[in-house]
Order: sequence, then structure tokens, then C-alpha cells
Amino acid sequence: MALNIVVLGCGTVGTSIADVLCQHRHNVTVIDQDSDKTQKVNERLDVRTLTGNASQSSVLFQAGVPSCDLCLAVTGSDEVNLIAASMAKAMGAGRTIARVYAPVYRDLSTFDYHRHFHVDRLLSLEHLSAMELAHGIRHGGTVAMESFARGKLEVDEFEISPNAAAVDKLIKELGLPTGIRIACVSREGQTTLALADEQLRVGDRVTLIGTAEAIEELKGMFQTGTTPRRDVVIAGGGETGYHLALALQHGRFGVVLMERDIERCEYLAAKLERTTVVNSDATYRDQLEEERVGTADVFVATTGDDEENIMACVTAREIGAKQILSIVSRPDYAEVVGKLGIDQAVSPREVVARQVLGLLHKGAVISRSSLGAGGLNVFEIEVREGAPITEHVLANVRLPAKCLIAVVVQEDFVRVPGADDRLHAGDTVIALIDDSAVAESLQMFSTNGS
Amino acid sequence: MKFADFINSDSIRAELAADDKDSVIREMAGALAAAGAVAEEELDSIVKAILRREELGSTGIGRGVAVPHTKHPSVDKLVGTVAVSVEGLDFESLDGEKVQLFFLLISPPDRPGDHLRALENISRQLRDDTFCRFLKQSKSTEDIWQLLVEADNNQFVS
Repeated sequence: MALNIVVLGCGTVGTSIADVLCQHRHNVTVIDQDSDKTQKVNERLDVRTLTGNASQSSVLFQAGVPSCDLCLAVTGSDEVNLIAASMAKAMGAGRTIARVYAPVYRDLSTFDYHRHFHVDRLLSLEHLSAMELAHGIRHGGTVAMESFARGKLEVDEFEISPNAAAVDKLIKELGLPTGIRIACVSREGQTTLALADEQLRVGDRVTLIGTAEAIEELKGMFQTGTTPRRDVVIAGGGETGYHLALALQHGRFGVVLMERDIERCEYLAAKLERTTVVNSDATYRDQLEEERVGTADVFVATTGDDEENIMACVTAREIGAKQILSIVSRPDYAEVVGKLGIDQAVSPREVVARQVLGLLHKGAVISRSSLGAGGLNVFEIEVREGAPITEHVLANVRLPAKCLIAVVVQEDFVRVPGADDRLHAGDTVIALIDDSAVAESLQMFSTNGS
Repeated sequence: MKFADFINSDSIRAELAADDKDSVIREMAGALAAAGAVAEEELDSIVKAILRREELGSTGIGRGVAVPHTKHPSVDKLVGTVAVSVEGLDFESLDGEKVQLFFLLISPPDRPGDHLRALENISRQLRDDTFCRFLKQSKSTEDIWQLLVEADNNQFVS
């Protein structure tokens, strides 16, 4: 079904999102202050364009915001995006997304921007890209494991090895921390939802859902023998490089961050206690050698410049780095990066486009993916105002037996719900649902038949 | 909003053992857990959240005062505590001074109004130099509690 979507700002991000939305045959209106830009987009894409200031109500009104299904504020200014998305929501837009750069806008400790401005999602391209890179690094680019809740949650599978701490224990005896849960257990080709009284045996394959850090910490409970520490060198200490170092430094990674601006280095060093921040330029071969990129397990280029990233990656590969990842923004470069020995190229625009497409579902379901061959699915579901699931604590909600609410994400926090927990509008849940119980389970999340 | 509405008197500490940012936050949150004001098993997650907020910019607001805070879904109402470091410690404050006086605050994510009123109250009361000085000189938890009650009764704010 074609949706009405208004995109505020047609820089590189806005244009590429508009392009993707057009390909999915939605009705797109694009607004920008710069008439040259709107004209260019008009020539390239089948969209309606409007020249004007996105934070002015007259402009939003003309663009049809009051009756649109989705309004995306992706101008170059965080403040304009917040104000415009907030206005769009108040004017009647179905869903609103604002792109923000500064991390403070996504923090709610002192002030809750998201709630105050009534914006459905505050997305940071740099943060999302860093989460995508971190995911690729953790899984060595080999397993296609999913991540959920904007990269906050991961799914991973382990085979229980002999002598592991979990052998012969009941799941409830494992004492798992709050941010993680065993989703299902595969034994002799049968995959079943994990119940508290399930006893784990050698050779079982357990699937964990939780924060990447929690999974990293708990690996050892299922597998004996320590996973060796992996050395990661990150080139470029911008917002993406910073978020990536932050995500990796707590796991089994030794992280070196190369940044050429000395002031930025000092800032990063103060904030990243477990990362080695070095003042050097990754575009020079001798400096890469000096930071021992040749013996590194992973090299990641996250500078703001595609050409620099690609050159640094090619050099890193040549001097011996094992896994190479890079931020590559230009879509036309995507074709060649594989040939140059780059294992994974992350495009910030594609990352954000995927997030946006995920939000186009009209119902409560954000994403659905199947978990191996056992007929189990992982659903990411938004809890909406008035959904039956919010009426009682979980113990008293009529969910089918083959539906397990594995994890609840509330704001920035991840928890495994207990029987006494009650879901609230605004929460996101990760649920495991058997094929046979999908329709009945989703009924509990539906509002007014949608 | 008054201090008595959210400060947990059992977790007030007049002599912090901690000597750096991490440990002072851990010690204060630990005191709240020991008093039963926050769940013991949530302690790590709470401390992490407070430290994450500090990364965005120190909550050391100058004049020897810091107000580390976060929101956390494990609490169902606003809860806070006060502590004094006799020696003072480096908290990356705005004015570079050591911090002696700490107000730590944890509130539920779905009550942003209460949270802001509490921060407002702390911020307003701490503008009074006499109140700050008396708090920093307090020798016991009882002294601190007494000062907070007096502040609630508008005995400091002019």
C-alpha cells in the first residue's frame, strides 16, 4: 500500500531516503530551503518538491504533513529537525522521525527530548553506522545474525561444550543478569522455546537474546576455553569512530583509535578510558605500520571521507590486517569495495534507509525474522496505546503458550520481563513466536484492527 | 518539590570513602541499594547509566557541587541521596574545583515532570552559599538531614 511521506531536507541523506521510498512506490514530498536542491531532486526522482523552511507551519501544511503517514526530518540542523518533527506530529503526521547528530539529544537523563517534543524516533546516522560496524566485527562477518532495537540487542547462538558451567543446569539456575535471556534450545534437530525448567545438556545449541555486552560476558558459561582477545584499529575519531570504540571497548577487544586532530584526541582520550587513542593519520602507511595494523585482527576506517577510508583500507589489507571494514557513503563506490579487499562496507544512508523502511509497517510489528528451521520467529513489536497486552501484568495476559516475550526495551534500557511485569505504550518488545501462534499473538498487540 | 519528598535519609553519607568519579557514584548508588531504595541487582545498570550521562558533560556545576543523575526503569518513584567528601575529589567540574558535595538522583523514565522539578529544587537551593557551606561542614548524616529539612522550610533561600 502506498503511503504518504514527507521528507524535510534534501541533502545526501534526504535524497537517498526519498529515492528508496520512491522505489517502494510511496508518495513522497520533499522540502528544502535551497531551490537548487529541490530542483535537482525533482529532475532525478518522481517526487513532489517544495521550497521553504521546514520549521514553518505554512510550509509543512502545504506539503500535506497533517495527513501524511510519516514525516522524516533530515535537514543538516539538529534543532530544525527536532522542531519540525515535533510540529509535524502535533499537526497530525502518523509517525515522525528526526535525525540528530549530537548524542545529547538521545540522552534522557537530564531532559527527555523524545518525550518533550513527541517525536517517535530520534536517529543518529553516526550511531547507527557504528552499531552496524560493531555487529560486523563481533560476528567476524561470517554469521548473518540479526540485531534489533536499533542495534541495542543482538541474537547469538552457542553450542554447549563439555565441562561448561551451564551443563546439566536448569535454565532458572543459571542466574542470568537482567539484560539477557535464553530464547530457545535446539536439541536433536528440534528447536523449542526455552522454559525455566529446561535442563541444558552438552551439545545443545542455545540462542541468546540480549545486549551485545551481556552476550559477550555470558559466552563463557556455555563454552569452555577462552576466546582470544582481538585487536581492533579504528581510523578516524569522529562521531562514528567514537561510538564504535565505545561499543567495543567493554568486550574482548583491544581497541586503538587513530585520530589526526590533537584536540579531538584529548577529548576522546578523556571519554574512552579503555581505548588507546593515538594522534596519527591513517592515510600514511608508516603511521598504520606504527600502530601495528599489520598484526591487527580488525581494521575499520570511519573518517568522513570515502577516498581516505578506501585508501587506508587497501593499505591496511596490504600490510596484513585480517578483517577490513569501512564506512563508504557514495553508492557508486559500493560496487568496487569488495574487489579492493574490503570485507564489509557500511553506508550510513543505507543503514538509515533500512530503519525508515522498518517503520513503514502500519501495524505494531517493526520487524520479523525467522530463527533457523524450527518454525520460530523473532518479532520486534511496538507496544501501542490501548493494545490488549497493556491491560494486565504478563502473567494475566492471554498470550498463546508458543509466544515468549523475551526482552522489553524501554527507552535506553533493556530488561527481561517477569510474570509481574506490565507492558506500557512506547515499549518495544522482542518476542519469539511459533508459526502456529503468530496470528493469535499479534492480536494482543493490535489496536483498532490495525 | 521538597528534599524530603525524594531524598532517602538512610542512604546519606557524611564521609565518602570514594576518591574518584566512578567510585563516588558507585558508593552513593550502593548506599541507596543498601537502604532498599533501589534494587541491589540493578545497581550495575544504574551506575552505568549515571556514568554514561557524565560522558555527555560533567554534572559538576561548580562551587564544589555535583548532581549526578539518570533515569532508570527499575525505580517507580524519584529517589535521591546526598553525600559529602571531606577532602573533595576531581569531578571534571565546570570551574575545575574539587567537588565536596554530591546530590545523586534516579527517577523513572515516565515521570519527566517530577525529575525536572527535583533538579530545579536542588539547583535553586544550592545557589545559597550558607546552605552549601553548612552541608560541606556536616559531620553526620543527621546534620545533613536537618539542613535539608531546614531548606525545605525555606530557611536558606532568600
